[in-house]
Amino acid sequence: MVWRATYKIKRGEIYMNEFEDVIERAKNIVEPLVDEYILLGTIKDEAMIKLAHGEISVAQSWNDIDLDMYIAKNERIGIYTINVKKLEDDIRKAVSDLEKLEKSPFYAPLPQPSGKSDKEIDPKIKNAVESGDLSFVVEDLELKNIGDAAGMITLSLTNELFLSSTGGKYSSSITKFNGYVRVFKDESSGQWSWTSTKYSLPLAKNAIGIAKELANDCNKLPRTKLEPGAYRVLLGPMIVGNLIEEVARAASAGMVVFGMSFLIGKKPGDEVASEKLTLKDIPLNRELPGFRSYDQEGVGTKNKYIIENGVFKGFLHNSKTAKLLGGETTGNAGWIMPQSFNLEITEGELKSEEAFENLKNGYFLTNNWYTRFQNYLEGTFSTVTRDAAFKVENGKPVACVERARIADSMPRILKSIEGITKERWPIEWWEVGTPTLTPYLLLSGIKLTIPQ
Amino acid sequence: MSLVDDIEIKNLEEAVGRLSVNGAIYGEIRFHRNRSLNITVMNGVVLGIGRETKEGYGVRSIVSGGLGFASTNNLSKEGLNNALERSLSAARTASRGVKQKVSMSPARLGRASYFIKPKRSFEDEPIDVKISRLIEAYKSLKLSENSFKVSSVNIVYRESVEEKILITSDGALIESRTPRISVFYNISAQYEGKRANRWFQVGGSGGLEILEENRLDKLMNDDIESLYINLVKAKNPPKGVMDVIISPEIVGLAVHESSGHPSEADRILGREAAQAGLSYRTFYKGTRIGSRYVTVVDDPTIPGSYGFYLYDDEGVSARTRYLYKDGELGELLHNRETASIYGTTSNAAARAMDYRSEPIVRMANTYFVPGDYTFDELLEDIKNGVYIKKYMEWNIDDIRWGQRYVGLEAYLIRNGELKEPVRDVAFEVTTREFYTSIDAVGKDLKFYAGTCGKGEPAQGVPVWFGGPHIRLREVRFI
Repeated sequence: MVWRATYKIKRGEIYMNEFEDVIERAKNIVEPLVDEYILLGTIKDEAMIKLAHGEISVAQSWNDIDLDMYIAKNERIGIYTINVKKLEDDIRKAVSDLEKLEKSPFYAPLPQPSGKSDKEIDPKIKNAVESGDLSFVVEDLELKNIGDAAGMITLSLTNELFLSSTGGKYSSSITKFNGYVRVFKDESSGQWSWTSTKYSLPLAKNAIGIAKELANDCNKLPRTKLEPGAYRVLLGPMIVGNLIEEVARAASAGMVVFGMSFLIGKKPGDEVASEKLTLKDIPLNRELPGFRSYDQEGVGTKNKYIIENGVFKGFLHNSKTAKLLGGETTGNAGWIMPQSFNLEITEGELKSEEAFENLKNGYFLTNNWYTRFQNYLEGTFSTVTRDAAFKVENGKPVACVERARIADSMPRILKSIEGITKERWPIEWWEVGTPTLTPYLLLSGIKLTIPQ
Repeated sequence: MSLVDDIEIKNLEEAVGRLSVNGAIYGEIRFHRNRSLNITVMNGVVLGIGRETKEGYGVRSIVSGGLGFASTNNLSKEGLNNALERSLSAARTASRGVKQKVSMSPARLGRASYFIKPKRSFEDEPIDVKISRLIEAYKSLKLSENSFKVSSVNIVYRESVEEKILITSDGALIESRTPRISVFYNISAQYEGKRANRWFQVGGSGGLEILEENRLDKLMNDDIESLYINLVKAKNPPKGVMDVIISPEIVGLAVHESSGHPSEADRILGREAAQAGLSYRTFYKGTRIGSRYVTVVDDPTIPGSYGFYLYDDEGVSARTRYLYKDGELGELLHNRETASIYGTTSNAAARAMDYRSEPIVRMANTYFVPGDYTFDELLEDIKNGVYIKKYMEWNIDDIRWGQRYVGLEAYLIRNGELKEPVRDVAFEVTTREFYTSIDAVGKDLKFYAGTCGKGEPAQGVPVWFGGPHIRLREVRFI
């Protein structure tokens, strides 16, 4: 078909050049009208296959070109998406909105830019998403032999252009290979995930293998119902990824401002977790898809501790929360909410094979969903387990347990960590939105419930 | 032309035709535009505003039993053509080795245009008046009483307009425009070292009249009172087996989670197994799920509702669906794909969040059908129990069986009378226990707004959920 040839020429570098011209035009329009601006242009190509019962239930492909704009005038703030075909109209309308506002208590001058352009591209991913054809992934991962499994596999390329009134001018190009698979074996199931900036087949195959192994291991054991109580618990990386993302979210100063953080009132130096726990935001890790060298205000990102050996190191800030709460930007800007980009829990000393042994008697839980806070400020919450979950006696799994609930408090859970494995997995899935490098965690006295 | 100024229907019809020419047994193009204005107010001062327009084409095709979806926000002919090609290519990829071939059930498809005309359109009020309205609501709040203090109040106002043109290769042509308003707020409070928060959402389809029908000042002051009761007045919660009355806001949540979601046919078939999970209805033996007082309905056609639509995103005419009827399991929620597998017809449950989203099986407005009890009549037969008026936490497992609710504002009941408040009262039940323990249903009916998440990539769609007060016997509090 004729348009295919046109498309192949249009996208890629040539298209980016054209988009740069659009952003330059937007800059020329907005610059005389406001005190400060940031223009953020994104071209994202993404393709995904979704699995059900070992077959592709749908294959999807997305091409998006977006232009977002932050503006400030006389300490009034606005955030807009701009239609590139109505550039002048949209920008003038946005500026006229600001004239009707009062000064924002959230306003802070944009910080001096200190980022740099960067790219982390896997050509195989780039080529695949530009064509939208993932049929090679089906072959590479031998999906026809996967058995009864559901899941998704996605490849994406995100090109971004950043331009600010403070002189920041950066670009980034990042590829991503992310997926998760839930494998069923009779009444049992196991689920695992992977994420990377590279088309890493070993990573994906390993995740599929673990999901299969968990389903099989659970299926071989008798089933039992958990008795509500407080237990020693070994949490797998899927659960740890979910819970630790909640900790990082609570460490966003924006959540403090909005009154939804259990870390509210904490200061750097306060003990908030077991000394075994060290949690970092690692935007400069090139292996994880949250990799970036500048934040949304153009500030250079850096890897940083959120919790080091159990001690709180400080909130994640953009310029606005830093002004409001006191402090300095940590290079974690979203325009409104500070955010983490990639997370990691630093490795512990436990070997994975020793984890059961160290658990002794308790439960090994591998996956969860539907985490909800009873009280954001006190950190009480519950989350429901799913997939393989094991009752462990004398260091050996003896039964597979039905869906239960962790119903506890985040501050208490953080202090109950007794062991951390050396081995870690890069997790990102439906319940873990931030790419996270996470080990297993061994905890004590965790409250588990189940309807009786 | 069309309801949407710059989109030519004949161009879309011609494009759908090209999907068929290139091998698709089914083709569908949806132009989808979501425009919104957001105003964020923190402690009575505007933080900032935002405007967003997301528009583009979503294209689906079925080739050799494989389903492909592609989207673009490049509205040029070139952009649409490219999306057509990617959709066909994706469908071919999906068809590789597929045994369960995708097809669309026959349906009586609509050729219609509809748009919701607000009583008071968004344009009737300039931004500064809208802002004043939010600030005035804040100023009305009672922010402290002795040591009890409200530490923060954040309000996010959102007005949006959703416009769609849907064309399918088998004859559907639906144009629609739906304006909506939602207001989300979070209130945090503290008292003698204890802290709690309450978030809430108001939402409906229509215009500014929604704000007049849902008085923010009243809602927020009432929630501050609930926080005061929770932090200052409430005693330790009871444990053990007791009767309970739950309010419409908890009933609505419960029917959404444990009646609506498990009745989604795609979930039962395993299409969402790795994401939002499965359904107990896949494994359930028998047809009875609750007492004879239990009837749960999902209805997209309720005027003014947050989940309102007249035709779904596959062009099928919307109607009321009985999910549970007189305690028996009722019909499933279907789109044309799942209806085809079940050998039935779609009941118009296909919804897509935006142009980037494939239409999947969704709820609209789910509610427990009221009975004939007054609140006092529900109370009078309880010797020892709990009334839960507002919740602060809930969740349910991935087969929609084990569920949990925690009260923000709750009271003990003794000998048919409301007594002292209790803090953070919690109960967990299975879906069958929940519905079989209902022995009386109130005559009131109230709806609540929410955003329901499902799919991959996740899609959040506006829904209402609601019901009357209901009474459950012998529930275990933990």
